[in-house]
Amino acid sequence: MQENYLAKWLNNELTKEELVKFKETKEYASYLKLREATNNLAAPDFDMAKAFEDLNKHKASTKSKVIKLNPYKKYMGIAAAIALIFVASFLYYGNLNEEISTQYAERAQIVLPDASEVQLNADSQISYSKKNWAKKRDIALNGEAFFKVAKGKRFTVTTENGTVTVLGTQFNVENRKGYFEVACYEGLVSVIYNKEEVKLPAGNSLVVINGELQALKIPNTKEPSWIRNESSFKSIPLKFVLDEFQRQFNIEVATENIDTNQLFTGSFSNTNKELALQSISTPSQIKFKLEGNKVLFYAETP
Amino acid sequence: MKAIKEEHVCKDDVYATIFSTYSKTVFNYIYYKFGNEEKAYDVVQEAFIKLWENCSKVAPDKAKSYVYTIANNLYLNVLKAEKVRLKYAPETNTVVNESPDFLLEEQEYKEKLERALAALPENQRTTFLLNRIDGKKYAEIAEMEGVSVKAIEKRMHLALKTLREQIEGI
Repeated sequence: MQENYLAKWLNNELTKEELVKFKETKEYASYLKLREATNNLAAPDFDMAKAFEDLNKHKASTKSKVIKLNPYKKYMGIAAAIALIFVASFLYYGNLNEEISTQYAERAQIVLPDASEVQLNADSQISYSKKNWAKKRDIALNGEAFFKVAKGKRFTVTTENGTVTVLGTQFNVENRKGYFEVACYEGLVSVIYNKEEVKLPAGNSLVVINGELQALKIPNTKEPSWIRNESSFKSIPLKFVLDEFQRQFNIEVATENIDTNQLFTGSFSNTNKELALQSISTPSQIKFKLEGNKVLFYAETP
Repeated sequence: MKAIKEEHVCKDDVYATIFSTYSKTVFNYIYYKFGNEEKAYDVVQEAFIKLWENCSKVAPDKAKSYVYTIANNLYLNVLKAEKVRLKYAPETNTVVNESPDFLLEEQEYKEKLERALAALPENQRTTFLLNRIDGKKYAEIAEMEGVSVKAIEKRMHLALKTLREQIEGI
């Protein structure tokens, strides 16, 4: 008998000989009865008309759903964007909730939660999270500041130009337009500029002017000169010097006929305006005219 | 089986023809599998909604296997099989002139058959009933179940063998 002969039998696919043989078996009667009994079997009733009606109701509702969904999707995108802005700004301000800034001719001294000190020069701004200070000593800086960092966890100063990381030390960071300077007065400072790390031991500084990096020695002092109300420069283009003068005295600076890229080495007082003007003009061999709240630096044509 | 012309499934009349041709089979198919009328009804609804939603992508000659496939996937792993209950179509010979003993015996046999059917493995029962009740050819059942014709023959053979053994108490 061939394989699956019962299936073949039901389907009338057995050969004559096979059928004869099958009929001789004692099970044949049982299978015959089974076939007859299942001839009259029926599945449960299926109300096709009702099913089709229900289906049409569904079809109608899915149609209207499609129309509704499209404009809704657009708003979802906008809503998601708004939510994202809210969350992002919440996180941003949540992390940087303390903000201290100085105007022209103004300075500030800040004591951080761990007793680290920050002295903020004119026209500068720092922000940090008081709440997370114990976990993360992160400060965002815009402008110039001198840091005396208490020993402890990693202390990070983030600026647009680069990141400065230390453990406990004293250092100055100046971050101005086109100008970035880090000077280390004690300990060791790590500066990340342009994805490259530079280690600065005490007595060294790093200056980046218009993207050009220079390593310099600094005078053997414990703090930057501006702390003692004197701005000093070593081979720095004149325009950054004049910018600093403007910040220190809140006097509008204008120039005429002079090359502001010429290098300046020297210092000027942050307290005596007349003295400062002379300190800048004499070495550079330029003249100045002070009129109220404006100063004009100019060169006399020979 | 009605011949469905090469027309768009999205056309109402084409869609209605497909529905009237296959909805009952889908209903029975799912019922044989899980023994739940309500779910079988829902599967019919969902399968044909899916067909409607994708009517532009499904060629009319593929609509049958599309609907079977959807039906198959819908409740494949979700449903717990319940007991399949079947009815008996009224006998053609309306005059009953059998002895009461014989009738009682018949009744007992039917009950035994029903129990045996319910106890069959799902794939054997579905195959057996699609053939016996719906008159589906082995080839078509193979298409619905996604297996070979030979596998369907094997299931039929085993179903018959098991049913006989169950009924006779072997």
